[in-house]
Amino acid sequence: MSYEYLKFGKEEKDFIAKIEEISGENIYSCYQCGKCSAGCAFSDKMDRTVNQLIHLIQIGQKEKVLKSNTQWICSSCLTCSVRCPREIDVAALMEAVREYSLREDYEKIIISEISKEALDKLPNIALVSNFRKKTG
Amino acid sequence: MVQYSYFPGCNLKTNAKGFEETAIAVSKKIDAELVEMPIWNCCGTVHTLTSDNIMKRIAPIRVLSRSKKHIETLKESPNQVVTLCSMCNSTLKIVNNEVKKDQEILDKINYQLEEDEETYETDMEVKHFLEILRDIIGYEKISEKVVNPLEGLKISPYYGCMLLHPEEAKIDDEEMPDVLESLVESLGAELVMSPLFKFCCGSFHIVDQEDIVASQVEKIVEAAKRRGANALVVACPLCAYNIDQQQEAMAKNSVVKSPIPVFYFTQLMAIAMGEPVKINHFNDHFINPEPLLKELGLIGRKKAK
Repeated sequence: MSYEYLKFGKEEKDFIAKIEEISGENIYSCYQCGKCSAGCAFSDKMDRTVNQLIHLIQIGQKEKVLKSNTQWICSSCLTCSVRCPREIDVAALMEAVREYSLREDYEKIIISEISKEALDKLPNIALVSNFRKKTG
Repeated sequence: MVQYSYFPGCNLKTNAKGFEETAIAVSKKIDAELVEMPIWNCCGTVHTLTSDNIMKRIAPIRVLSRSKKHIETLKESPNQVVTLCSMCNSTLKIVNNEVKKDQEILDKINYQLEEDEETYETDMEVKHFLEILRDIIGYEKISEKVVNPLEGLKISPYYGCMLLHPEEAKIDDEEMPDVLESLVESLGAELVMSPLFKFCCGSFHIVDQEDIVASQVEKIVEAAKRRGANALVVACPLCAYNIDQQQEAMAKNSVVKSPIPVFYFTQLMAIAMGEPVKINHFNDHFINPEPLLKELGLIGRKKAK
């Protein structure tokens, strides 16, 4: 059995503080019951489930968190937020992780690359919400 | 007749025209007329979940401020803005709640609105049209207006996320809602309960991750069909588009056999209340509901009454 030694220094603590600041939630309220992941409509499509991602935030593993697809699969349906027994706005944590990436000058979706055909076909409600979630 | 200040939101003017036109027609019939705001802007569709981004909160407040001005020109109108789209409803409600609690945010937003000589004083309430139907009109009055009971339609309500989440914006119990159920029954249709009534359809992922939406829609439709539904009823233009369009795409690839049509709740009301078929804009649908309605004799024949 091999172990991975984790660093928990200033960088890690800063990452946690920033996520808490953006989301307005206390990350350590989570006691890892897993109810968010159990009720998530998208758990099967995520490489890390929601509670796993929260655990990584709790231990400040910035790189692993930002590399996950979890926050980009989340569609903010808020099922987790209304069910959390610790009353954490879990979806806000996912939004905070997205925002953290986007605020470092990063676009998850490049609007100019969407075809004109698609733009004509798609409802504006889908486009506006997508751009609000995936561009900084 | 009570008049309500009605905020349409962007989609009701493009691919959900049937939703709007049927809602306005029905609203006149039940004495709660929806009058469109003369000037309005996009509410932003999704509420920002961040605690520090004030810019994304300006648009909804601008809508509320404009609606307040609009009310002064209406008859017997309460301080309420009525929405049809469930995403607008939730965005407006959440931000309205936030500024009611936090004067500091409101001041910052009002500072931005000053340029357009607008200001908001937290004296508005946001209502979804379903809330008006349930709380003000009542199902009894709705059934009285039914001239063409929807016999033969087996309808499964699909709420989507934004009608029931989050706590501050929900219009009904988040785990056991009954507003669409009661409405469907009051129109004379058969109710089919599906466990996936709020299983997210994939929402805005339709733009760049269509496979996610496809897999969600397949589950939602299968669950309803397995229980005998021959139609779905929704209140969200994005749910409607996703379920409708994805079913058509899957039917082409023969992943899904016999797709079922998706109705807005106001379309069902309009059909049941004998409004002209053309206001439903069924040609905007991907799965045309007309063959089913004709087969059941709900449209296209002279009524005995």
